[in-house]
This record gives sequence, structure tokens and C-alpha cells, in this order.
Amino acid sequence: MKIYETAVRNPVGTSLIFIGIVLIGIMFYRQLPVDLLPEIDVNMVSVMTTYPGAGAEDVETNVTRPLEDILNSTENIKQVTSTSKDGISVVMLEFNWGSDMMNIMNDVRDKLDLISSSLPDGTGDPLILKFSTDMVPVIVLSATATESANALYKILDDQIATPLNRIPGVGTVSVSGAPQREVQVNVIPEKLEAYDIPLEQIARKIAAENVNVPAGNINTGSQTYMLRLQGEIDESRELNDMVIGVNRGQPVYLRDVAVVCDTVQSNVMESYTNGQRSASIMIQKQTGANTVAIAGAVKQQLPELRKNLPPDIQLVTVIDTSDNVKVSIHSLLETIILALIIVGLVVLLFLGRWRGTIIIMVAIPISLIGSFIYLYVTGNTINIISLSALSICIGMVVDDAIVVLENITSHIERGSRPRQAAIYGTEEVSLSVIASTLTIVAAFLPMTLVSGLAGVMFKQLGWMVTIIITLSMAIALTLTPMMSARMLRSTKESKTSRFDHWYNRHILPLLDRLDAAYARLVNGAVKRRGLTLGVIIIIFILGAAVSALTLKTEFMPSSDNNTLSMTVELPTGTRMELACATGQQINRLIAEKYPEIEINSFTVGQADEDNIFASIQENGPHIMSFNIRTKEARFRKKSVNDIADELRSDLAAIPAISKFAVKAGGSSGSVGGGSTMDVEIYGHDFAETDRLAAAVKTQLESIRGLRDVTVSRKDYRMEYRIAFDREKLSLNGLSMGEAAGAVRNRINGMVTTNFREEGEEYDIRVRYDEGARQSVEDVENILIYNPAGVGVRVRDFGKVTENASLPEISRKDRQRTVTVSGSLHNRALSDVAADVSSVISSLDIPTGVQIEIGGSLEDQQEAFSELKMLILIVILLVYIVMASQFESLTYPFIILLSIPFAFIGSLLFLAVTGEPLGIMGLIGLVMLVGMVVKNGIVLVDYINLNRERGMSIITAVVHGGKSRLRPVLMTTLTSILGMIPLATGTGQGSEMWQSLGIAIIGGMTFSTIVTLILIPILYAIFGGNGVKRQRQNHFRRLSPHSQTLTLTKQTEV
Amino acid sequence: MKAVLILFDQAHYSQIERDLSKLNIRGFSAWKEVYGRGSRTGEPHYGSHAWPSVNNAIITVIEDSKAPQLLRYLKELDTEYGNLGLRAFVLNVEGMV
Repeated sequence: MKIYETAVRNPVGTSLIFIGIVLIGIMFYRQLPVDLLPEIDVNMVSVMTTYPGAGAEDVETNVTRPLEDILNSTENIKQVTSTSKDGISVVMLEFNWGSDMMNIMNDVRDKLDLISSSLPDGTGDPLILKFSTDMVPVIVLSATATESANALYKILDDQIATPLNRIPGVGTVSVSGAPQREVQVNVIPEKLEAYDIPLEQIARKIAAENVNVPAGNINTGSQTYMLRLQGEIDESRELNDMVIGVNRGQPVYLRDVAVVCDTVQSNVMESYTNGQRSASIMIQKQTGANTVAIAGAVKQQLPELRKNLPPDIQLVTVIDTSDNVKVSIHSLLETIILALIIVGLVVLLFLGRWRGTIIIMVAIPISLIGSFIYLYVTGNTINIISLSALSICIGMVVDDAIVVLENITSHIERGSRPRQAAIYGTEEVSLSVIASTLTIVAAFLPMTLVSGLAGVMFKQLGWMVTIIITLSMAIALTLTPMMSARMLRSTKESKTSRFDHWYNRHILPLLDRLDAAYARLVNGAVKRRGLTLGVIIIIFILGAAVSALTLKTEFMPSSDNNTLSMTVELPTGTRMELACATGQQINRLIAEKYPEIEINSFTVGQADEDNIFASIQENGPHIMSFNIRTKEARFRKKSVNDIADELRSDLAAIPAISKFAVKAGGSSGSVGGGSTMDVEIYGHDFAETDRLAAAVKTQLESIRGLRDVTVSRKDYRMEYRIAFDREKLSLNGLSMGEAAGAVRNRINGMVTTNFREEGEEYDIRVRYDEGARQSVEDVENILIYNPAGVGVRVRDFGKVTENASLPEISRKDRQRTVTVSGSLHNRALSDVAADVSSVISSLDIPTGVQIEIGGSLEDQQEAFSELKMLILIVILLVYIVMASQFESLTYPFIILLSIPFAFIGSLLFLAVTGEPLGIMGLIGLVMLVGMVVKNGIVLVDYINLNRERGMSIITAVVHGGKSRLRPVLMTTLTSILGMIPLATGTGQGSEMWQSLGIAIIGGMTFSTIVTLILIPILYAIFGGNGVKRQRQNHFRRLSPHSQTLTLTKQTEV
Repeated sequence: MKAVLILFDQAHYSQIERDLSKLNIRGFSAWKEVYGRGSRTGEPHYGSHAWPSVNNAIITVIEDSKAPQLLRYLKELDTEYGNLGLRAFVLNVEGMV
């Protein structure tokens, strides 16, 4: 028994199976984590190696280059970039997408083991860090304080970070920007010299005094007692009374030579929110945790936590990634519901039956909800990709059901009883339903095999659509006939309602007239097929020419997610206090001029070593990083791009600023962050590349559509350098390292022990008093003790000179590089790229220097070549599917000819709406291949049927076209109109899908109009040739000489 | 005794089965896949891609008196659903075992 027959005979079982699928789907849906994007296995690994005391150039030659050389041979490696800074080398390895990162990590580790012995002495062990999207904080809170500012760190750590850490799914909660408590022992050098005590002795003495030691056990009688020595200080002021040495028989107390301050660390990163000193609390999630749920739980806890805080501390949310997720998901859900309504109306209009409409509409929720089972089982999330897949599918899932129901209805109208009509009506179209589903699958399944970033994004889309469409086919072959058998009424039993009357009077005549007009059109076109074909070819050439001329391309549209980020730099070497003041100035400007900006927070200063997130970003005493949050898109008139523009002109007016970059969309990663244009200059010589970079920068600034042109190489930085004389050092029995260490201990300080209070440990830092470390003279006056205990001043060992040096050296593909980058605005990537390459070709490039264009263009070219390949594969697969269904090579070819028209339609419509063609548009083209051939299949299948029934070619074509017009129009209109909410979407994050929607609407419309004429004509031409050939054969066989003629011919050959 | 050979579109099957039992006709034989076409009108029933509909056939041997009743039932069914196609032929039965 066939599957549809089983379904019709077992209505209870069939309906319960689908109800079960829906129930399981809903159950899984409730458990699915919600996120913005599918989980991306990030393909970056960084290797950090410390080399204390070495300058950037030394780090480059001694650490970075050997590491690059050996790591470059790692399997699947795509690119090696590196930065060498003072004392640290960071090598970033980028691997091909889809590589097995576990294997790669092991490989990298093995390679590092090999090399680490040959690195210079004093380098730390290379640290391997794998990047992941989880490192981006889910929520960043900001706490402002006035009176409690100094205690902020401990308060936040105890009252906020620790409780939040207990929320399931929360990874780490880190507090930054709040100064940490520190006990400083500020030594006055003159006094120290008077008592002849080295600074190291003080530090060691404090460490030796500040100990608790277990001294063993004593057995007394029947008891065992533990013996403990309690030497740790209870209060920081006890340090004052510590004896640190003896001078002429008198004890020297610490208070005699130093001032003990129980205070907060100096020179750390500071953050300000809306102008007030603040601390940020960054909440990161565990891998695979639900962003929205975590953000919700955190927000739920906050009011409770606020109660325990001192009244002057205010907590605000600066970044909440879940907001964007929620709003994007919400706007997509709206899109889906809108599409559902539109599709419902179209079906009702064409069918004119309530019952039929219900039967068809049932297919939508079941197949959509069923796909949640797939998401849950494969551990995916609800994100904009998976939801967009749903929205894309709505128009397509009804197609199969429409074809089946339409045929069942025509059986009933011929007089069958619904039950029989359901079985036989389904059987007739089952093959073409399966074939058209297979063409859609052939278009979407290869998407799952695309590599690169595009592949990561479309893998889920491909699987989702494949599963939804397959499910919709299953529904069309089982549930639709079953429901038709139960719900449809045979012609004599049917009652006419008021809706039917209205429909029969107003809509039906319209549709009938449309059918008749189309039949006349096809008839005329087929009779004058040469002329019509000529007109269509001219349309094609014109369309192709216009779309080739107007085509603009981009990589990825930028989306408005209510955030902006800015990096503002003052000249390198500027003191943090000055940077801070400039930050406040910008802040006041924002507060006055930009009512759209709700929260504005910035950080300034050098990042802590333990704050990985902050240390990856650019930081330094002269750099301010702004995170700006605007009101939600619907509450403001200006887009974030407009705001960014205004900010740019305002920042340019502040003279103190040397560089700035404003990025609309925030720093939430490469996806949706807008396009950049990078010009990479490779070359070893600093002077030459610097000159070239400056030239490129001035040229790029004059190109329309490029903003924020910056040069990646940092400015030369002023520094003092101590040049010790090795001879003098060795005469004194000192090594270079010992001398440098002594200087470091006095300026940077020495931490040998901790002060413990209430379970928390605070550093005790011993160093020179601030007054004694402010000038070159102070450094020269530093007293270094040689092994004999004699103090010698630094000035006697060497010279302190003023120098300029590069703070960091970047390399790419094992060559030094400078990148001049700009961000794109209001102009397509392709146009800007053309201008940039003409600028580059006009430059005089010295030998040994190469220039390349990178950034979004590189990504775009990579993705485009992948997608073009994909389109070819999809077309081939679709052809294979059709050829095997028709058992013919000609008819599928006729149908394939509608694809170029679809592409032209898409490109023209994109040009009309002013959207450039990006990845999304190309994916739209891929989808079109599967969607437009559906119409052709339905049409050609029916024309074939008519010919088998004995009609002449022209009658078959005209009659077939006329009777298939309505189903073709219905499925096309549901697909097109179902896309409209996506194409016109105004909600947050909708920018991303607009070009896809537009491409599909344009392509479907144009190709449907053209193919409704083109396919009948081509069929008539090809079919006519076939008939002519048969007729010639026939006549040849009939003529009496033919037998002998062919025989003689054969013997001649 | 008369044999009635009924050839009809498969859609009629269950109705004819009910009609037979209403007329108290117990014995019959049926063929499920029967192809063919009418001499003058009607669509071919070939079970093919072009003509997917299929006929069924029933033969039943009944008393002479029941034959007209059965034919009346069948005639009614045929006029009601003229598009489906239904034909019945009454034959003489020469002998039985």
C-alpha cells in the first residue's frame, strides 16, 4: 500500500504522528538556547611569549621570527600575523575554516615544544590561547561611585562578582577599572643611603617577617598540640615598626626610611561611565550557555544585589548582547507571522475555499516546528540564521501541499468521492512533488558544504531549509490527502456560503479572464515563435547589459545594533591624566549634543595582565576606548551610522587627538560590523614603508566613501634608555641582569609578600617614593650594591639617553607590514576598491616593498568565489534531478534557461532598490536556482502529459499553460510575497536579510513572467523539431526506395 | 442465472460493494487493476502518467430476477458521476459446479 493510501485509511494515526511532532518540537523549542549567531568554532590561535626587558625589534628577531618560521608549517594554516611589542611577542595563527581545532592545538603545542629550547634565555614559556566567541562578554555592567571609589574593587568583587558567578552558565565575572588595594612602602632613597641599606634588603626582610609557620606537634599527656608561629602582620601600620636592619648598634625601623601607605594601585586602567569614575564588571558565559537566559538571570539578580551596595554606588548596564539578540529574534518572529498571514491570503484568494486554505496552512506550522527537533538534537541554537531559514521557507512549504490539493480538488470536481480523489489525486502528482522538493534540496544541501566564514553561516541555513522542505513534502504526501479526504466535500454535497458567493461573483471571473488572456498570449507567441524568441533574447541582452553596468558589490551589510565604539588616541607617550581629561571633554560633548546616546563609557590606561579581554583590545595610557549605547532604533531618528558621522566631525575638531576611529555597530565581531578597506604594505625597511603608508593614507582620505583612514603602525615613542658599560659592571662583579633588576626594583617596585586581611591578599610593594623617581637625574642617582656591599650609582656604570623607538612591529605572512585601513560608508565596496587600486597603481613603489588590498575585499573575493562555485554545483545538481525525472536531456535544459532571467531580475531589482550585491544577495541567487525551476517543472510536466494524451504540440502547450497558470502563480506568489517582510524589514538586524529578500523577489518575478512565455515557446520549438524528425523518418520508411537506398548507403560506408 | 460483469472507475468500488450487499448479493469476484477505455466517450483508464486513473472489475453471478435491480442501481450511479465511467454487461451462465 502506498504511503498516501495508508495515510488516508488511517486518519487517526496520521494526525497523531504529526501532532506528536509538533508537541516534541514545541517542547524542544522551549529548551533551545537563544543566541545571535550559530556557534562559530573560531579558527584563530594566538601564541604569546614574554621576553622581559627586550625592545620590540629584539623581540621580533629573537622570538617572533623563530616562532613564525616553525608555526608556519602547521597543517591547514591560512595566515600568520604577529605583533612584537616591548617584552612580549604575540603570534596569531589563522586556520582554514572547518579545521579540527583540537588537532591543530596539539600540533601547535608540539611545534612550540621543539622550538622553546632554542629561544633566548629569559623568554617565558609560550602561552597558547584559543579564541572563541565566548570571550566576548555577554553583559558589561558599570558601577559609578563617589565616596566609595577607593573601596570599589572589593565591594564589587564581593557583592556583585561572587554572587553572579553562582548563576549557572556564567563563566567568569571580572571587575576592571577599579583600583585594587595595595600596601605601598615608599622608600626615601637619601635615608636608605644614610643607613647603607639596599632596597632589596627591606623587601626581603618584610617577606621574612610576614610569615606564619607551622612548627610541628607536641605530645602532652594524652593530647597532641600543634605548634604554630603567627608572624603575619594584622594591620598594615604594623609594618612601620618592623626592624629592617641595625645601624651602629641601633635598630633601624621601617618608619625611619620609608612611608607606608595603605592605598590603591596607581597607573591602572580607569573607566568612566557618563563622566563618572566607574568600574566595569564583565560577565562572560560558559561555552554553549544561553546568552539570553544568562543575561535575564543576571538582570533578575541585580535589584537584589543593589540593596547591599553602599548608596553612592550606581550600577548601569553598558553592553547587553542579549538585548540585540532578543530584539533581532523578535523582529524575525514578526517577519515570520507577517509572511504567514500573506501566504494565507494568497492561498485563500486563489483557492476560494476555507477548507482548502486550512489544509494547506496546516503544513506551515508543522514543518516549521518540526525543524526545532533538528536544532535541539544537533545542539544548535535559535539564532538569526535558523529563524531566517524559517521565514525563507514559509512561502515554499505550502507549494507541495498546493499542488496536491489542487489535483485532489480537480478530481472531486470531476465527480470522485473525496476519499478516492485524495488517494488518486496524490498519486498523480507525487512524482512531480518529489522532484520539485529534490530541486530545492539540491539548491540548499550543497550550502552546508561551503567553507569559509560564509560556510559557517549558511551551514545551518542549508540544513534547516532541507529539513523543513523534506518535512513539507512528507506532509503533502500524507497529511494533506488525509485531511482532504476528511474535510473536502464532494460537489453535490457542498453548500455555498456567503464567502463562496462573493468569491464566485468577484474573484473567480477575474481568474478566469486571466487564464483566457494567458492562453491567447501563449497561442499568439507560439504561432510567432521566432519573433517572440527574438524579443525575449533582446530583453535578456538588455537586462544583462544594464545589470552588468549597475552591479555594485559588498561583503556584508552593516547592521544597526544600538552600539557604537570609538578608539581615540592622543600622541604616543601622553600621560594618562591628560588622556583622561580629553575623554571627559568628549564625554561632555556627547552629553550636550547627542540626546540619542544613553550610555557612554570609556576606559583609559594600560590593561592589567590578568584582563585578557581588555589586553587584546588596543590599550595604553594615551588610548581611550569608548563604548556607546544609543536608544533603541525605533526611538531615534538618526541611525548609528549618522551618529558615527557626526561624532567623526566632532572628534576631528579636537586638536589634541592624533588618531580616532568610530565604528558603528560596536566591536561585536566580524559579522555585521560593517566593511573595511585595508591596504597592506609589506616591507622590511621602516622608513620606506612609513613614507609609503603616509602617502597611501593621504590618497585614501580623498576617496569618496572611505572614513577613518588610519595607519596601523604606532608612532615612535620617546623613551629613556640606560646603557650600562659592561666593563664597569663586571669590575664590580655585577651582571647586566642584576643591574637592570636593581633599577626595576626601585622604579617599578618589588613585590615579595602579601598583606592578608579577611581572606583577601593585597600586594606589599616596596619601591622609591614618587618624588625620587621623576627625572633622568633620579634614575642616574640610583644606588646599586655590588656583591661586596658597596653602593655604586647608575651614572657611574653607564649613561641614560633619550631615544625614540617603535612600540610595536606587526608582521603578516612573515613580513613586516603596515596596514592603512579605512571603513566604508554609503558606497559599495566594489567602487571603493576600484578607486583604491587606481590610487595604488599610481604610487611609486620602491623595490622590496609590496602593496596588497585586504580587509573586507579579501573576504568578499574569497566568499564570492566559493558562492559562484556553489551556484554552478547547484545548477548541475538541479539539472540532474530534473533530467532523471523527465528521462530527457532537452526538457531540463529548457527549464534551466529560466535561471539566467532570474539572475538578471535579481540584479536589476537590487540596482533599483540601491542595495549592493553581498554574500546575502548571492545566497539569494543560489536559492533562486532551486525555486525558479519549480515553475518550469510543473509546466513542462503538464505539457508532456497533454502530449501523451494525444494533443498536438501547440494545443498541448496552450492548454497546459492555461491549466497550470493558477498553481504556478499561486506558488510563485506565496514565495514572492512571503519574502516581502524580509525584504522590507525595518526591525533591528533586518539589514542583513534585505538584499536576500530583494534578490529573490526580483528574480522570481522577472523569471516567472519571462518563463511563462519562454518555456511554451522553447517547448514548441524543440518538440516541433522532434516531430519533424519523426515525420521524415516515417516518410522515408513509407517510400518504396528507402530500404534499398539505406542499404546501399551502408555498403558504401 | 446471470453473470454481471461490471467495469468501473476505482472510485466507485466501495459504493458498488455496498450496493451488492444491499441487494443481498453475497458472492462476487473483483479485479483491482483493470486498464481500458470506452468505445465512444470517457477518459482512458491506463494507470499511466498521462492517464493515471484505473478501473476495477467485478463479476457476480446472480438470480435472473436480481439482474434488473442491480442494473438500476448501477445506472443511477453512472448518471450521478458521469465523468468517472461505469459499464455493466449481463451474460448468460451455461452451467455451474
